[in-house]
Amino acid sequence: MTSAIFELSSRVAQRYWAVALVVAGWQIWVSAAGLSSIVLPGPLAVLTDFVGDPLSYAEPAGRTFAVAVVGLLFGFVLGSALAVLSWSSRLLNGLLTPLGLIFTSIPVVTLIPIIARLLGYDVRTVVAIVALICFFPAFVYVGSGLRALPPGSDDLFRVFGGSRRQCFLRLVLPSSIPNLMLAFRLTAPEAVLAAVVAEFLMGTDGLGHMFRKAAGEFDTERALATSLIATITSVACFGLALAAERRVLRRWT
Amino acid sequence: MTSARSQSFVLGLIGVVLFLIAWEVIGTYRLAGLTWPPLSTVLVFLTTPAKLPLFERATAASFASVGIGYVCGGAGGLVLALVSHLIAPVRPGLDRLVAVIHAIPSIALAPLLIVLASADATPPVISGLGVGYVFYVAATSGLATAGAAHRDLFVVLGASRLSTALRLDLPSALPAIASAMKLSVPIAFIGAIIGEWFGASRGLGLLIVSAMQNFQIPLLWSAVLITAVASLSMFALFSLLERLVQERMR
Amino acid sequence: MPDTPAIRIDRVSKTFRLGDGRELTALTDIDLSIAPGEFVALLGPSGCGKSTILRLVAALEEATAGRITIEGRAPAELCQSHRLGVAFQDHALLPWLDIEANVSLPFHLAGRSVDGARVKDMIALVGLAGFEKARPKQLSGGMRQRASIARALILEPEVLLLDEPFGALDAVTRRQMNVELQRIWSRHRITTLLVTHSVDEALFLADRVVVMSGRPGRVILDLPAPFARPRAPAVMREPVFHDLVDRLTEALEPEGAHP
Repeated sequence: MTSAIFELSSRVAQRYWAVALVVAGWQIWVSAAGLSSIVLPGPLAVLTDFVGDPLSYAEPAGRTFAVAVVGLLFGFVLGSALAVLSWSSRLLNGLLTPLGLIFTSIPVVTLIPIIARLLGYDVRTVVAIVALICFFPAFVYVGSGLRALPPGSDDLFRVFGGSRRQCFLRLVLPSSIPNLMLAFRLTAPEAVLAAVVAEFLMGTDGLGHMFRKAAGEFDTERALATSLIATITSVACFGLALAAERRVLRRWT
Repeated sequence: MTSARSQSFVLGLIGVVLFLIAWEVIGTYRLAGLTWPPLSTVLVFLTTPAKLPLFERATAASFASVGIGYVCGGAGGLVLALVSHLIAPVRPGLDRLVAVIHAIPSIALAPLLIVLASADATPPVISGLGVGYVFYVAATSGLATAGAAHRDLFVVLGASRLSTALRLDLPSALPAIASAMKLSVPIAFIGAIIGEWFGASRGLGLLIVSAMQNFQIPLLWSAVLITAVASLSMFALFSLLERLVQERMR
Repeated sequence: MPDTPAIRIDRVSKTFRLGDGRELTALTDIDLSIAPGEFVALLGPSGCGKSTILRLVAALEEATAGRITIEGRAPAELCQSHRLGVAFQDHALLPWLDIEANVSLPFHLAGRSVDGARVKDMIALVGLAGFEKARPKQLSGGMRQRASIARALILEPEVLLLDEPFGALDAVTRRQMNVELQRIWSRHRITTLLVTHSVDEALFLADRVVVMSGRPGRVILDLPAPFARPRAPAVMREPVFHDLVDRLTEALEPEGAHP
């Protein structure tokens, strides 16, 4: 029992010593320099603020999480659908592939203000922004997954006389699943961060807005606690997506 | 160039042209409302002599942030990756630290940085953190790609850890590092722009946000277009470099 | 009519157009007939185009000149009516399906309902009973090839095409698989075309061994393998077997092509 605890704590120490070092350095620096909590509170003060009123964070965090998930799903459905369309037609593929590449090589986040202006300052706009951020990775990764068939399998389907539809349903679509999950893991944390940035810029409810309000009122403890929650939400999304990916890959490969 | 490749090039070009035409048509006929200007309006606005100094100043400021962030972030990521490769016990801790820093929303980092450094230092720092993350992740996995046979050879030849790293691991990591150079380009721009959204005194990001808030539609689209084109050209340049490295290392 | 060939390869040539516009002649003027129920092995150095012949018969490539027919019809028609069986060097099992589902796949592709009992029997026949629910990644290389052969045979195809099915296996497993395949084939006697570069394998399995020269591929020797079936591994120790191995090996050497 004690050895198990020891092993666990040594594993935690091995993984988180650097993070702990940074947080400790922050606390020491704040204490030593005697900084006012408006300028920069220490990690303890931030934690105290959070522990004092954890429920006030739950609602905006839940909202941001929900918006991120809905946007993520929209983006993935649209991106995958377009990838399938472009798989089915060589013409469409030729037209769309370079556009997809162009949009993955530009900073899509800078489009947030344009979309905000186009659609209005609204929750739906935040969803649209998250969907847009997730759309291009989904399109690109699923598109390459649809072409990454197990070696020899396309010949096999031809010799066995599989129709195009069967080939798509039984070979091409399943082959794209690992790539879909990879795109999912890579974009899940980005979806949360995009939602937070969009809320911050447009002032719609959620963690981004809460942060902006707190920062505006010089309530720095609250502002930093909010970003802590946002970080945790983003990491949690990553963890969920990673767990989902591992499960699917175990089943799929 | 083979016929298949030139064919896909032409198709891609047609796709891009169709996209630009769609942009123009949607703007001209106001299919997406008043906030979607035709491409020609944006281009005319961009080339208006009176606006040039404004764009020049903003672009210079943002590009400086991107450049500093890119170079420092890239170098920092590489050095950290090399450290975690050479000193195996520190690796899990560094991996976590890098992942946690990456997961902090950049809008949350900005106020911290404004306190720690200054408002004008924030864009390059956020940009550098993003770039450093990509370089660190790519380089740590790239440094581990050398084959078992090669590694055995170096052990048999009695190579030191450092010389193995420099003569075997680093060369085998070059393709991954070249990919990181390419992939971190848009990240560097995103970092600089988001950094500027928090009270930098000049830059394209500032231009974008103030144009959004003040309904200066052509200005908004122009600033975004400059950013996109700059990122795209740099991305294309590094794609070329990546291909060269991959050819050479094959 | 025993003299009507099951597979007729009628003066077939194949030229590939390379990426830079040059042309590569893979096969010239191949003429070969395979009788119904005959097992023919195509033997040749790597790059001689023996796999190309198999791909032509499987309708995976089009001949540049000449004609290939299977029972008087174009190979593509046989694919469409799901009457070809095939196994490649790369097992090509789908990683997301278990062995049973992989072996049943041809039923789905033919739009027929899966005959569960037949799938079970076939899996047992190739010696994989008990591994129905295993994933390809959980099996050894030899077991994967067994599964891919079961999949090739599941619909009782009219023609079986084997492209170096044991090429990726170690020598011991390969010998074992040859004995197994011989046993399975002797039960079904399906017209079979095997592509291999192993002289022993060709001679042990086939009724006839056809040797091809290096590029461009031509037929340079056509030898019967006169051993009674079913064949025991002991066949490989007979003096006749050794003589034939020597003749085939000699034909495979570059000088052998131009005596």
